[in-house]
Amino acid sequence: MSEIAFYSPVPRSSNSKAKSKGNHSNDNDMDLDEMISSVAKNSSTSATLHVVTPGEVITTDSAYMRGHGTYVENEKVLSSVAGVVDRVNKLISVRPLHTRYNGEIGDVVVGRITEVAQKRWKVDLNSRSDAILMLSSVNLPGGVQRRKQESDELQMRNFFMEGDLVVAEVQSFFTDGAYSIHTRSLKYGKLRNGSFLEVAPALVQRCKSHFHSLACGVDLILGLNGYIWVSAHVPQNLDEIDTEQVYSNKNKEDITVQDREAIARVANCIRALAAEFIFINDTIISFAYEASLQHKLKDMTKKEIMHQIATEAVDAVENMKG
Amino acid sequence: MPSLISPAERDYILKGVECNIRADGRQRPDYREVILETGVVSQTSGSARVRIAGGTDVLVSVKAEIGPVQVDPETGDGADKGQIICSVECAPSASQQFEGRGADDLNNEITQMMSRILCNNTTSSYTSTAASTTGSSTTASRQSSGPGGINLQKLCIIPGQQCWILYIDALILDYGGNLMDAIFMGTRAAIFDTRIPKTEVQDLGDGQFEFEVLDDAEDTDPVEGREDMPICITLNKIGACHIVDASPLEELCTEARLVVAVNRSGQLCGLQKGQEGGIEPSLLLEMIQFGKTMGQTLIKQLDTKIKAEADADLAKRQRGEPVHKLGFFAQ
Repeated sequence: MSEIAFYSPVPRSSNSKAKSKGNHSNDNDMDLDEMISSVAKNSSTSATLHVVTPGEVITTDSAYMRGHGTYVENEKVLSSVAGVVDRVNKLISVRPLHTRYNGEIGDVVVGRITEVAQKRWKVDLNSRSDAILMLSSVNLPGGVQRRKQESDELQMRNFFMEGDLVVAEVQSFFTDGAYSIHTRSLKYGKLRNGSFLEVAPALVQRCKSHFHSLACGVDLILGLNGYIWVSAHVPQNLDEIDTEQVYSNKNKEDITVQDREAIARVANCIRALAAEFIFINDTIISFAYEASLQHKLKDMTKKEIMHQIATEAVDAVENMKG
Repeated sequence: MPSLISPAERDYILKGVECNIRADGRQRPDYREVILETGVVSQTSGSARVRIAGGTDVLVSVKAEIGPVQVDPETGDGADKGQIICSVECAPSASQQFEGRGADDLNNEITQMMSRILCNNTTSSYTSTAASTTGSSTTASRQSSGPGGINLQKLCIIPGQQCWILYIDALILDYGGNLMDAIFMGTRAAIFDTRIPKTEVQDLGDGQFEFEVLDDAEDTDPVEGREDMPICITLNKIGACHIVDASPLEELCTEARLVVAVNRSGQLCGLQKGQEGGIEPSLLLEMIQFGKTMGQTLIKQLDTKIKAEADADLAKRQRGEPVHKLGFFAQ
């Protein structure tokens, strides 16, 4: 019979070590002038990081312009979100601490089909509104190149069904701010053979590639929207892909116990990193995986061990950088 | 709270459960870590916040108020009993689906389940519990305390007139699977944290009574029978196996769900089956048995934790130090 572990909550600052180390690449932090830092001192936060809550006055000086996350009332600039004040010359904006996905064209995203509509699918991307995948933006099975016909429209559910996970690329925006995405490449399409997890979208940064194949035999797709797909390795040779199978719902038969363990381990490493607010990329995941090998897989849901793995991974990355 | 899952994910989770490696690396009978703190809401008689690592966040509060006794018009039962009134509410911030009326069904389902198990004040509600209709169960035999454990007679102040009403309110702040277990753990912790003021009843003659609530914060009673309160274990049948403490995606793969309410002596206090799928009789017995043993372990560990926290708080008070609760400033 397994044990159930009960813990007391801990104060938020107790694991700041990994946090401060993890935030390495964010160097566009404030250059606040005296005025704002004096406000910061008054509001009992540190002078370098001005944290505000919704409705809090950022400045009473009407010379400043309001940016994202702020509004003006009685000639004062107030914050509309909980976050950190950012200032560029006269423009004041607030970067929210917790936000939905803000996409850019060309982003690789992982999404879940929520609705099948007229000539389009609605896709959940963890953004403010569902993205749209047009029937004309997908490849036909077999790679046939032709205009989509009414017959294709009738069998849309054979391509993507509600609940299906897809990897796609942001193609353009609609006038209402919704994203239009496409899967017109063999890299993109339906996801199989693995498990899904979700992290804060801000933790996944734009990189050269978002498709990774780790040494431990695990494939990884880091969606910029914070949705991550960890799956068993499938040898990829874009010339030899069976184009008839791109819309199949069947997992491959030979996912071994070792594969499953590796997938769960990688997924837990990502969770451990995300819990410490560390940016997620393939390098740090590999280091976290190495660090995790000394622990039993089932122990990896434990907070203490997750913290340890994340700290070790951050140290390893810093050692590598010299 | 996701509501959709792809066939490939479902297949992956199902096969994973079969070979005893779940998506987050746990084995079938493994619970996630639980973070618990009592006494977080100072306005209540007792409160607790339970979080399951990975999402679920439940705040349970108990408020003791004085009210009239509720007498069953048919049986005349309940004149000498206090009441327990449960209510569960899902905060819209927990999930997009809880917005508006989205959480109504879930709220009702859990409230009903809690009421059936904990509020055994009238015989009619007692017989309608799932436990007694299954027949196979061994519900608590003592008449004074039914499956709910709490001694309701002790909550009565003046028989036929006034009694204590315990309002148990659970607020779901975040959803990460396995709500039911978290709520029951929270309820137990909150009831253990509850102190009811002492009352002094004066007999004025002619069947007239008057009472006074003593407002000495030190001189209070714990809820009697709290040790016998049941706890819930939710078992999710996926394929031919069953798992505990399912994650949201695992809950979507669940064919049938069995909630087993069990008290510390291993008596079955309630049973509820959810979802569409069926459970084979042999598996059902195995699941109940498993739930009972698991529940007893859980109660033992939960009680140790609650006691340790209560002792630590008491020691601090005796030393004259203020007791600081982390509440929502914690992680």
